[in-house]
Amino acid sequence: MTASQEKVKVQYDDQIVRMFFHATLFWAFAAFTAGVWIAFELAVWQLNLNTEWLTFGRLRPLHTNAAIFAFAGNAIFAGIYHSSQRLLKTRMFSDMLSKIHFWGWQLIILAAAITLPLGFTQSKEYAELEWPIDIAVTLIWVIFAINFFGTLARRREKHMYVAIWFYIATIVTVAVLYIVNNIALPTSIAHSYPVYAGIQDALVQWWYGHNAVAFFLTTPFLGLMYYYVPKAANRPVYSYRLSIIHFWALIFIYIWAGPHHLLYTALPDWAQTLGMIFSIMLWAPSWGGMINGLLTLRGAWHLLRTDPVIKFMVAALTFYGMATFEGPLLSIKSVSALGHYTDWIVGHVHAGTLGWNGFLIFAMIYYLVPKLWKTELYSKKLATTHFWIGLLGTLLYYISMVVAGITQGGMWRAVNEQGQLVYPDFVETVTRIVPLYYVRGIGGALYLIGFLLLLYNVYKSISMATEKPTDEVAEVINTNVKSEDIGTGHRKLEGMATAFTVLTLIAILVGSVIEIIPTLSLHKYVRNDVQVEPWTPLELAGRDIYVREGCYTCHSQMIRKMPSEVLRYGPASTIEESMYNRPFQWGSKRTGPDLARVGGKYPVTWHYRHMINPREIVKDSIMPNYPWLATEKIDYYALRKKLSIMKYLGVPYDDDTVANADLVAGRQAQEIADGLIEFGAPEEVRNKEIIALISYLQALGQKGGLSEEDKEGGSE
Amino acid sequence: MSDTDKDKLTDHEYDGIKELDNPLPGWWLATFYITIVFSIVYYAYYELGSGPSLDQELQTKLEKIEEKQNQAEMKQPDPGNVDYSQLLADNEALATGKDIYMQKCAACHGAQNQGVIGPNLTDNYWLNGKGTIADIAHVIVVGVPENGMPPWKGMIKDEDIPKVAAYIKSKVGSSPAGAKAPQGELIEE
Repeated sequence: MTASQEKVKVQYDDQIVRMFFHATLFWAFAAFTAGVWIAFELAVWQLNLNTEWLTFGRLRPLHTNAAIFAFAGNAIFAGIYHSSQRLLKTRMFSDMLSKIHFWGWQLIILAAAITLPLGFTQSKEYAELEWPIDIAVTLIWVIFAINFFGTLARRREKHMYVAIWFYIATIVTVAVLYIVNNIALPTSIAHSYPVYAGIQDALVQWWYGHNAVAFFLTTPFLGLMYYYVPKAANRPVYSYRLSIIHFWALIFIYIWAGPHHLLYTALPDWAQTLGMIFSIMLWAPSWGGMINGLLTLRGAWHLLRTDPVIKFMVAALTFYGMATFEGPLLSIKSVSALGHYTDWIVGHVHAGTLGWNGFLIFAMIYYLVPKLWKTELYSKKLATTHFWIGLLGTLLYYISMVVAGITQGGMWRAVNEQGQLVYPDFVETVTRIVPLYYVRGIGGALYLIGFLLLLYNVYKSISMATEKPTDEVAEVINTNVKSEDIGTGHRKLEGMATAFTVLTLIAILVGSVIEIIPTLSLHKYVRNDVQVEPWTPLELAGRDIYVREGCYTCHSQMIRKMPSEVLRYGPASTIEESMYNRPFQWGSKRTGPDLARVGGKYPVTWHYRHMINPREIVKDSIMPNYPWLATEKIDYYALRKKLSIMKYLGVPYDDDTVANADLVAGRQAQEIADGLIEFGAPEEVRNKEIIALISYLQALGQKGGLSEEDKEGGSE
Repeated sequence: MSDTDKDKLTDHEYDGIKELDNPLPGWWLATFYITIVFSIVYYAYYELGSGPSLDQELQTKLEKIEEKQNQAEMKQPDPGNVDYSQLLADNEALATGKDIYMQKCAACHGAQNQGVIGPNLTDNYWLNGKGTIADIAHVIVVGVPENGMPPWKGMIKDEDIPKVAAYIKSKVGSSPAGAKAPQGELIEE
C-alpha cells in the first residue's frame, strides 16, 4: 500500500435504499393483485363488476406497468443504489437527486394507477402512459442518470465492476428507447397521436417493447445478479472473460430482436428476418449470464439446501436460462406461426417475470433486510415456504399457459382434407382453454400468497431490530482514479467511464438505426396503385374509444400471411391498410378473434347487441358487457383538433372535413342511430359512444389498401 | 476455493467480490458460433438469395388448399338439383339443424325464428329465393352480405347446411309470438 492510498470514511446512503425497498414491497402487492384479478377475469367475465374501470382492457396495462415499472423498477433502484455505492466506494452523488428520483417515480406510478383505469392510454404496450406522464418519466430518468454518473465520476475504485456495466447499459438504453417510442403530438392534456403510423409505429413500438424486456427486465437484473450472487454465496465470479464477451454481445444483439413480435405481418420481410436471426444469436449471450451466475455458486451448493436466498437465486437463474432459450425458439418463424397471439407468449413472459425477475428480487429482499436494519431474518423456514409456494405458482402459471397456447394455436390452424377450417368458430377455441385460465389464476394466486409470507417475514424481521436503522460507514482506500495506471485492453476501458458509456451507446444504436431508419420513409413501401381512405371523423372518434377501452389487449387487427388466417379472416393485411393508423392496433394477443376485416360482416344491430351483452350473440363468449358505451356521449368537440393533428401528420383530410369534423360526424352518427332505433334500440342511443365505435368496427377492412391481386389471395 | 481456482484468480476486487478468469466454456462458444453461421446463411438465402418471400410461401400454400377445396366440391352433388324434402321427415337431421340454428342463427333470426335483426323465417315472405330448402341452404352458404348476413360456408359443415335449412323450413307457418312484420315477396306454395 503506497502513501497515496490513505483511508477515508464513507457513509453510504442506505436510507434511500430502504425507501425504494418499501416501495418495491408496496407496489409488488398492487401489481400481483391486479395480475391475479385480471387472470380470473378471463375465466369469469363478470369480474369487471360491470364497471368500465375494471375491465381487462384497462387493467391489463395497469398490471404490466405496475409489475415492470413499479415493482421491478423500485427493486432495481433499491439494488442499484445499494450496490453502486459499495462497488464505487462512495456515497451517491446527491442526496437531493436521490430523493427527487424516489418521490418523482412514486408520483409517476400513482399517476399511472389513476389514469390507466380511466382509459387514458397511448395503447402501445408498456408505453401506455399519456404524454404528460411520459415527460415526467423522462425528467426523472435524467435525474437518476445525473445522480448515477455523478457517483461514477466520484468513485474511489479504479475500475468498474461488471454490475456497473450493466447499470450503464440500462440507463443509457432505456432513455433512448423511451424517448423515441413516445414521440407524439398532443390533441389535449390527456390524449395524443404518435408521429409514427402503421408499420413504422409497429416497428418502433416492438423495438421498444422487446427492449423494455431487455434493458429494464434483463440488463439491470444481470447487474444485480453480478453483485448479490457472489455476495450471498461468498464466492468469486466464475469468469471475467465471459462477463466481457456476454455483456457486449448481449447489448449489441438484443436491440435488433424486436421485429420477432411481428413475424408474418405486413412488416417488410427483411426486417422480420433480422428480428428472427438476431433473436437466435441472442441465445448464447443470454446463457453467458446464467452460466456465470450458476458457476459462481460452485463450491457453495450446500447452501442451496439451507439458505433461502441461494434457493431463490438458483431458481431465478434457471428460469432466466429457460426463458432465454424459449425466446429464440419462439422467434423462429414457423414456431412463431403457432405461438404468436396465443397464451404461450403470456406463459413465456411470466417464466421470465415471475421466475427470473420476481425470484431475484425476493432473493435480494431476504439478503438486504438483515443488512439494512441490522437484524436477523425472522424466519428462514417461512422464506423457504415462500420459495416452494412461489415455485409451484410459477410452474402452474407457465405450464397452463403453454398448454393453452399450443392447444389454441393448433386449433386455429387446423385445416381438414376438404380445405376447410376444422374449428371455424373462434369461440370454440376459447371455451376449450377456459379451464386452463382457472389453473393460471390459481398459479398467480399462489405466487401472491407466497409474497404475503415475505411481507410478514420482512415485517417481523424489522420489528426485531433493536436500534434505529442507520447508514453504513465504511473505511475505504481513497484511490485517485485519474492518476493511476489502469491497465490495457478491456481492463483499461473499465477505468474509463465516459468512453465505456459512449461505446455502450454506439452498440445499441447500430441495430436501432439499421432497422428503424428505412421504414421512416414509408412511401418506399406503399404501392402507388393502391388507394386507401382515411377514417371519417366519426370512425376516428370510434377508433379512439377502441383504443381507450384497450380492445387491442384481446383483439388483433393483423391477418398474418398464413393460409389458416386467410381462410378464417380474409386476405392478409397489407402495409397500406394501416398507413393512416395512429397508433397502430395490430395487437399481440387474440383472446377474441382478429378484427382487421370485421367491417360489414354483421349488421349494426348485431354490434349494438353484442357490445351491450356479447352472450346474446355468442353464447359462450368471455367478453365483458360494455353498457356504458350506450350512455356516454361522443366527444364531438375534440374532433376538429384531432383531425387537424392527423392532417398535419400527413393524413389526406380536406380542409372542409377538418373544419366541420363535428358536423360530419354528427350526420354519420344520425344514420347509424336511425338504423339501430328502427330495430328496437332505445331513442337515447343517439350520439352515444357506441355509435362511434360501431361506425369504426363497420369500417375495418373497408377502407381500401388491397390490390386486385391481394384480394384474390384470400378470395376463398 | 480449489487450487485450480486460485491459479485463475485475477487481482480484481470490488466490495469483497473477487473474479476468476476461467476460459469461455467450449460448448457455449460453439453454440454462439453455430447460431451466427446459421443466421448468416438464413438471411442470405431468404433475403439475398433465392428463398421464397412470405407472400410467395402463402400463395403456394393457398393454392394447395384451393385444390383440396375444388376436389371436395366435385364430389358433392349440385345442391340446386337435390330434393331435400325427405329431410323434413328425418328427426335426427332436424335436431342437428335446430342445434346449429340455436347457436349460430338465433341471435339474429330469433329463437322462435320470429325475426330480430334478420327477417322473420316463419311466414311465406322471402327476400332471397323462393323458400325451398335448397334456396335457404344457398342463402346460408353465400350469405347476404349487403344486408349484414355473413356467408356461413366453412362456419357450418357442408353436410349440416341442408339440415339447418330443413329445420328452418319445418318452422314455416308456426306463427310465433312477436313475429316480425313480413319482408320480401309472398310466395304461394
